[in-house]
Amino acid sequence: MHSLVEPNAWVAIKLPSENLRVLQLTPNTTISLGKYGSFPSNLIIHRPYHITYELEDKKDNETFNRLRIVPASELYSDILSSSSFLSPDSASPSPEGDDAEDAIPTGVEYALVDADSGAVVAKTDRAELDAEARQSLTMEQIEELKKDVTDAGRDIITKLMLSHSAISQKTEYSLAKYKLLKTKKYIRRFCVLPLDVSMLDYWLLEEKDPAKIMDLREEMIGLLGCWANVHFGGESRCLNEEEQEAAANGTNTATKPEDSTGRWLVVDDTGGLLVAAMAERMGVLYPPEKDEEEMNPPQKRRRDSESQPEPAGGEGESEPQAQSAEKTQPPSGGDASGQEHIVTKRVKYPTGDPRHKDDLAVPYANCNTMTLLHHNSQPNLSFLRYYDFDNTNPTQSLMHPLARHLMTLSWLQLLDPLADSTYANEPPSVSSDELKTWKANRRGNYHRKRRRWARIRHVVDRTRGGGFSGLVVASTMDPTSIMRHAVPLLAGGAPIAIYSQTPEPLTALMDCYSVARRAAWISDPPEEAIGKTTEELEQWAGTDEFPLNPSLVLGAAMQTSRVRKWQVLPGRTHPLMTSKGGAEGYIFTAWRVKPAEGRVEARGKGRTKKGKSGR
Amino acid sequence: MGAASPFLEPGVRTSANSLAIVHLSRDNLLPVILQESKGEVDGYAEGSVINTRFGSFPHTTLINQPWGSQIRASIVDTGSRGRKRKVQDEEAAVEDSEGVGSATIPGQATPKGLETASSGFVHILPPTPEVWTTSLPHRTQVVYTPDYSYILHRIRARPGMRIIEAGAGSGSFTHASVRAVYSGYPKGEDDARGKVYSFEFNEDRFHKMEAEVEAHGLKDLVKVSHRDVYNNGFLVDGKSPEAECVFLDLPAPWKALPHLSRSKPAGAEQDTPWVSPLRSDRTVHLCSFSPCIEQVTKTVEVMRQLGWMQIEMVEVSHKRVNVMRERVGLNMPTDRGSNLSPYDVGEAVQRLREVESKSKEFHERTQGVENGDADVDMDDAPEAQKSNGTPAKGANEPKASVASSAKPYMMGRLIHRTEPEIKTHTSYLVFAVMPQEWTEEQEAAAFAQWPCGKESKVIGKLDKESRKREKRELLHAKSKSKRKRGKDGEAEEAGETEVDNEQDAKRSKPDPQAAASS
Repeated sequence: MHSLVEPNAWVAIKLPSENLRVLQLTPNTTISLGKYGSFPSNLIIHRPYHITYELEDKKDNETFNRLRIVPASELYSDILSSSSFLSPDSASPSPEGDDAEDAIPTGVEYALVDADSGAVVAKTDRAELDAEARQSLTMEQIEELKKDVTDAGRDIITKLMLSHSAISQKTEYSLAKYKLLKTKKYIRRFCVLPLDVSMLDYWLLEEKDPAKIMDLREEMIGLLGCWANVHFGGESRCLNEEEQEAAANGTNTATKPEDSTGRWLVVDDTGGLLVAAMAERMGVLYPPEKDEEEMNPPQKRRRDSESQPEPAGGEGESEPQAQSAEKTQPPSGGDASGQEHIVTKRVKYPTGDPRHKDDLAVPYANCNTMTLLHHNSQPNLSFLRYYDFDNTNPTQSLMHPLARHLMTLSWLQLLDPLADSTYANEPPSVSSDELKTWKANRRGNYHRKRRRWARIRHVVDRTRGGGFSGLVVASTMDPTSIMRHAVPLLAGGAPIAIYSQTPEPLTALMDCYSVARRAAWISDPPEEAIGKTTEELEQWAGTDEFPLNPSLVLGAAMQTSRVRKWQVLPGRTHPLMTSKGGAEGYIFTAWRVKPAEGRVEARGKGRTKKGKSGR
Repeated sequence: MGAASPFLEPGVRTSANSLAIVHLSRDNLLPVILQESKGEVDGYAEGSVINTRFGSFPHTTLINQPWGSQIRASIVDTGSRGRKRKVQDEEAAVEDSEGVGSATIPGQATPKGLETASSGFVHILPPTPEVWTTSLPHRTQVVYTPDYSYILHRIRARPGMRIIEAGAGSGSFTHASVRAVYSGYPKGEDDARGKVYSFEFNEDRFHKMEAEVEAHGLKDLVKVSHRDVYNNGFLVDGKSPEAECVFLDLPAPWKALPHLSRSKPAGAEQDTPWVSPLRSDRTVHLCSFSPCIEQVTKTVEVMRQLGWMQIEMVEVSHKRVNVMRERVGLNMPTDRGSNLSPYDVGEAVQRLREVESKSKEFHERTQGVENGDADVDMDDAPEAQKSNGTPAKGANEPKASVASSAKPYMMGRLIHRTEPEIKTHTSYLVFAVMPQEWTEEQEAAAFAQWPCGKESKVIGKLDKESRKREKRELLHAKSKSKRKRGKDGEAEEAGETEVDNEQDAKRSKPDPQAAASS
C-alpha cells in the first residue's frame, strides 16, 4: 500500500455521518460531499491517509475551499474534557440515589467548550431529561444558516445549541449526545481512508449490497485465510527458459509439484473480494510502489498526474520495503535477463509486440500463485477493479502482480478440457514470412489468439497436475461437489477452508466425513471401492452412501465467529445498541491427507488387551 | 540461511530435524521435531519413538513421507526397555555393538526392520500457526485463531511489513504474525523483509521463546528481545524496528503506549534523542489485547491523549459447531445415540394402538374365560388377531429392514449444535491507527505540485437521473464512432476496438463510480 494518496487511486472518504463515499481521485476535479461541502481533489492527492480534514472557509481571492488538518487533540476535546470531569467524580459517587437517572452522575458541571476560543458555549448543572426537542430556531432559519456555512459548520452547531431552550435542563450525557448528533449533521469534516480489502469489505457490507459478497464479514475473511494457510508462497519467478521452450514446442510439461510451492486453489462467488483478500495475504494485490522519495518533498516526484503507472526502475535498493525488493528483482528468473526486457516491452506496447516467437510463452509465475475456478465462461472479478486489475482487459498491464499470480479456469476446462474450444483448438501456426504479408491488425489478432491459447493450455495443464498447497472456497455451489473435484488436486497436508452463509451446506459436507462413515469406509467398504488402488479412490465419483471418499480428508470441523463492537467513552462503555444481522456465516476446515495403501487397522491400545496379555 | 521454516515453506515431504505435527485426533495434536537417530535412543532400538494411545511410531517411519500421510503404528518393544537399559549399563560395550547392528535402519526410506502393528495409525501434518496454537506448550494465556486471524487482518499485517509484538507469551501470535509478514528470508544485512519484533518481559519465557524460534527455523524472521517495554521501549539495539503494525498483549498497555509515539512524548527523558519505533512514512495500525474492561478504558483514554485515531473496541465471539445425526424413532437400532421414542405423531399413535389392542386381547382372554361365551370368543378372536397382527407386523418389519439395510450413518436427521463448552470471552480488542506526520513544508510542496483552482469536473454531485443520462449519451457517442471505424478496417475483430472500448470505459469510469457511491 502506498504511503500517500496516489492520483487516480480509489479511496474511501469517511463523512461525519459515518457514511463512506468511495471514489477514484481524478486530479483536477472537485469532489462533492453533498451537504458537507466540496473541495478540489488535488488537495488530498499526495497527502497521507487517515488524516481528518476540515473544510476551511473560502478565501476571498480563491474559488475553492482549502482544507485544514484537524489534530487529534481537537477531535477528542469533548471526550477528554468530559473524562477529566468524570474522573474525580467517579471516585465519589453522588449522594442522591432517588431516581433512575441517578445512575449517571449528576450535579457535575458539564461545559460545552468551543475548541477555538475556549469560550463556554453551554453548561449544565442539574440533570433533567426532557424528551421534547425545544429548538427555537425554525426550519427556515436553519435552512438559512445552512446556506452560508462558515467555520466548517461549527457556528451553526453552536447556534443550534444556544437556541435550544431546554439545553440547560439536559444531563451532561444527553447534552453530549445532542452535540454529537448536531456535529455529525453539520460539521464539515472528512477522513481519507485507503480502499484496502478491509475497507472494501466494510463498505460493501454496510453500504452496498452484502448479498453480492455472500455476507462475507472481515472475521470470516481472516479465518478463511488463516485456516487455508494462505501466505507469501516463495520468491516470485517466472517459468524458466526450458519450460517455455517446451511449451513452445507444444509439449507443455506440467511442472512437478516438487518445485512449486505456495499455489492456492480458490473458488470465489463474491465477485473477487475473496481473491482480493487472499492476494493481499500473498502480497500480490497492490501494484508495486513507484519510486519512493518519501522523506523528500513530493515535488521531486516526476510522475505527472495524467501519466499511467509506469514500470518503476530499479532505484530503490536502500528502501526498507519488501515490495521494492520484489521490484528490483526481475520478476523473471535470475538468469533470464533477456526476458525481463521483453516483459517491459510488452507493458509499453501491449498489442502488436515484436515477439513472434514468444507467443507461447506464458506470463505466469510458478509459485505464490492463485488458481481461480469459476462456473461461468469468464470469472466474475469485478471488485478487483478497485485495485487497478481488470481480468477481462487484454491490455491489462503485466506490471500488476495479479497478472502474473492469478490464473483462472472454468470447471469445464478443469474436468473436460477437450470439450472447451479455446483449450482444444490450437490456432494454426503461421510462418513469419507469411505473417509479414498480413495486415497489422490481422497479425495482432493472430498473436493474441496464439497467446491466449498458450495461456489457457498452461493453466489447465498445471491445474490438472494438482499439488496445490491449499483450497479456499466461498461459493454458492454445493460444497460437496466442489470437494469431490478439488480435493484430489491438493497436495498432502494441504489445508481446506470453505465459507458458507448458512450452516446447512456445510453440515451436509461434515456428514460426509462423520466418524461413523469413516469407520465404515475402512471396515465395510462399499462394493465400488473394493479392489481399487488408492490413486483410483482419489477420483471417487461418489455414491449415495459415500458422496465423498472420507479417507482423503482429516479433521473436518465447522465454526462460526462474530465480532461485536463496543462504544468506549468515559463512564459510558457498552456494546453498540444495533449492528448488522444477515447471514451468520460458517467455515468448514480440514486437511487433505494421503491414506495408507491397503487395509488399515485401528484396534487401539485397549486396556482390555493389555490387561489380558500383561497381567 | 538454512532450510526454510516448515511453517512457511514445508515442501512436499517431512524431513529430519524439522517440526512436524502428529495428528492423533481433533484436539490431540503432537508437535514433534523428527530426529534421524542412529542407534538406540532412550532405550529404544528403533531410535526416537513417539508413543501414543494408537501405538508406537519410530521417527524413522515418519521421516521423508509426503505431508498428510497416514502412518501405521510399528511394533516397538516398549516393555523391556527398562530392563534392557539396566543390562546395557552392566555390559555396555557388547549390547551397544549389537544394538547398532540390529536396530539402525539404513537410509531414511521406509524401514524394513519394523513390523506394522495393528494398534492404529496417525497422520502427519505440516505445522501451521493454527495447528501450533492448538498443540503448543502453554506458558501463558494463548491468543487463539479466531482472535489472531481477525487482529492480523485488521492491523493490515501483510507480506513485507514489520510488526511489533509485546508480550510474546506462548508464541501463538508470533507464529501467526510471522506467516502474515513473511516475504522471503533476508539475503543480506540490507535486505529488509517482513519481520516480527517480539518482546517478552519474563526471562524464562524469553529463553523458551528464543529456543522455539530457533528450532522452527524462524531466527531470521523473528527477533525476540528480553525487555520491560513499559520502561525501556521498543527499540532494538538502539535502532527503530520501523514497525507498521503493533500488537500489545500486556497487562498495562497504557504504560507502553508513550514509547510508540511519533515524536518525543512529554514525560520522556530529555537528554536522549528520540527514535520512534514506528515507520515514519506509513500509517501505523495497532491492536491492544486486554481481558478486562478497566484496562480497555484506561488504554483508550491514553490513546486519545497520544493522538491515536479511529479507536474502536470489539470482542470476538467464536463457536465451534458439532454436526451429528439425531436418530429419533421407534425403529432405530438400539445403539448409543439413538432416541427410541416415536419419530412423529403417526408413529406414536400406531404404538398406542398396538398397546391398546394388546391389552384388549389380554382382557378378552381373561374375561372371555370367565364369561364362557363361545360365540363372542369365536368372533372376536380372529378379529383381535387381525388387528393385533397388522400393527405388530408394521412395527416389526421396518425395524428389521432398517436395521439390516440402512447404515447408521445414513439414518436420522442431520443437525448441528454449538460444541458443549465455548470460550465466551477471550479479550477485548482495541484497534487504533496513527497517521504519518505531515508538516507544513510537505503540505506546501504538495500544494505546489498539485495546484488547485482549475477543476474541470465535479465528482459525486450528480443525482441518479442526470448520471444515467450522461452515461447514455456517452454510450451513444461511442457506438457511433465504432460504426464509423468499422468501415475502414474489416479485418478488425477485437484487437483495436477492444482496446478503444477499454480506454473509453476507463475515461468514463470516475464518473459513474463516484456517483454510484453517493
